[in-house]
Amino acid sequence: MSFVKFEHITSGYGKGNVIEDITFEIEKGELVGILGINGSGKSTLVKAICNVLPHEGKVTVNNITLEEQTVKDAARMISYIPQKSGVSLDIPVIDVVLMGFNPWLSILEKPGKEMEEKAEEVLKQVGLEDRIHENYMELSVGQKQLVIFARALAREGVLLLMDEPESALDFSVRYRAMEIVRSWIKKGERAGLLILHDISLALNCCDRLVLVNNRKVSDIIDLRRDTAESIEEKLQKIYGSLSLEKIRSKNGKERFVVLYDSEEI
Amino acid sequence: MRNTTVSNQSSHTMRNRTYLFIGVIFLIILFFAGLFIGKYPLSISGVLGGDQYQVRIFWTLRFSRTVVGLVGGFALGISGFVFQLLFRNPLASPDIIGVSSGASAGAAFGILFFSGVLSVSACAFSGALIAVVLAILLSGLDRSDSKATVILAGIAVHSLAQTVLMVLKSMADPEKQLASIEYWIMGSLSGVKSETIMVNIIICIFCVLLLFLLHRQCLLLSQEEAEARMLGVSVQKMRFLVLVTATMAVSSVVSMTGLISFIGLIAPHSARRLTKDNSVKTMFLAGIIGGCLLLLADILARSVAQTELPVSIFTSLIGAPFLIYLIFRRRHQI
Repeated sequence: MSFVKFEHITSGYGKGNVIEDITFEIEKGELVGILGINGSGKSTLVKAICNVLPHEGKVTVNNITLEEQTVKDAARMISYIPQKSGVSLDIPVIDVVLMGFNPWLSILEKPGKEMEEKAEEVLKQVGLEDRIHENYMELSVGQKQLVIFARALAREGVLLLMDEPESALDFSVRYRAMEIVRSWIKKGERAGLLILHDISLALNCCDRLVLVNNRKVSDIIDLRRDTAESIEEKLQKIYGSLSLEKIRSKNGKERFVVLYDSEEI
Repeated sequence: MRNTTVSNQSSHTMRNRTYLFIGVIFLIILFFAGLFIGKYPLSISGVLGGDQYQVRIFWTLRFSRTVVGLVGGFALGISGFVFQLLFRNPLASPDIIGVSSGASAGAAFGILFFSGVLSVSACAFSGALIAVVLAILLSGLDRSDSKATVILAGIAVHSLAQTVLMVLKSMADPEKQLASIEYWIMGSLSGVKSETIMVNIIICIFCVLLLFLLHRQCLLLSQEEAEARMLGVSVQKMRFLVLVTATMAVSSVVSMTGLISFIGLIAPHSARRLTKDNSVKTMFLAGIIGGCLLLLADILARSVAQTELPVSIFTSLIGAPFLIYLIFRRRHQI
């Protein structure tokens, strides 16, 4: 029985559909990536899952239909990391992380001591322990994104939903952030859905990849089972000419490397 | 490193407490100055000593007017703070997004077609609410999510309200109603009478208290809709509740005083510049600065000339250059 199910999700703006009949599943403890070219409907899918855009079809998490839940109950299940957070306030870093506990608080209630301790712990985990009480607006773009990661990871969500969260992070930090995400997912009854632009990151961090093209799911790649040739073939269908190589890193782990094939560069 | 962070935090907290303390002292001084300075100077010994003339002026003219200055300025500062958070725009204040001009048009409608202070207040509130809803609807037409959109929408709503106001003025009886409307638009605390302000003061205090309780929700609402929703905020409902409460606070003030410009813009900005955060303390400081500004403007309005001047002359003298400064300032966060 799948842990998270996306069944026949169709959505869009105005008359036209941007995504049609998107159907796939995520197992418990699995991190699934969504790949697709610009305009393929990845962000529309996120907005539909967040219930910000009206859509057909349904999302079930642990047998609970998200669309039937109140805003608060749905937020308790999903921890969301946007591409770029809309927080643009002079506010202490810890207060941004504490916002993550809102689904567990009544409108007039304030976060408690336990929540503050948890927020400090997660900020330490992402390497921002010395910035806890500093102004969020004075952090670098990458550090701000790490705070938003901390906000999502500090809470007991079930599904971690990430919309190109890596775009603001530099090379080493994006892999470190993915390590933290993977360890969060492996703890307890959790799963992750990651929308990505970076194919290499997707190939090396996710368990499976859902390829979206022309509004629909074109292929699903299982990175634990599929061969490099079959993965390359599926990726070529949406990205065109590219080569996929499997190389061994210095610490002995096998990694995917993607090269774009072009006459010019 | 950790120790440095903790000491930075405690010095920040200490500094903010100092600003609050100084602000409260200023507010108390201005409150007492407001009670005793004016065309008919009063003295503490005269009022306490039972001088009938002074006691009468104190209770019939000064006390209610100074209380309105304090509570009204405080409420305008708090509402401005909330509007700026919700619209994610440092220029979004009650006067700039058209709330005040909507209230003016509403009040003029009330003066023309109804009688009694409560009906004028109710009409001012309806006008303000219509203006805020219109500004939201108009800014919603632009999908670019630009921070300037709400200001442009506010300018459009302001122009529309001014047109309505002109039409109402042309319909008014020149002897009585037109004078009332003009007097109301100029903004002054001289018409404040203790028997007519009670309901508005209660509404105002209630709204301000509610806004303080909703402070955490205001911070959450300052994000993109999807982000706020995924943090468990029913964005539409909560935004409506906060906006209605802030609008009600503004309209309860302007229905006692008439149009007061710029306090909702200056007070929250000055508070943020001092504390450099958006905490409840900063919100409170915005209220204190608002109270100080209105009390000071009222004292000047009744002391600098032979005849009493509109309060907005003095608030605009500070407010207009302040607005220009904000427009040219590069840092557009709140």
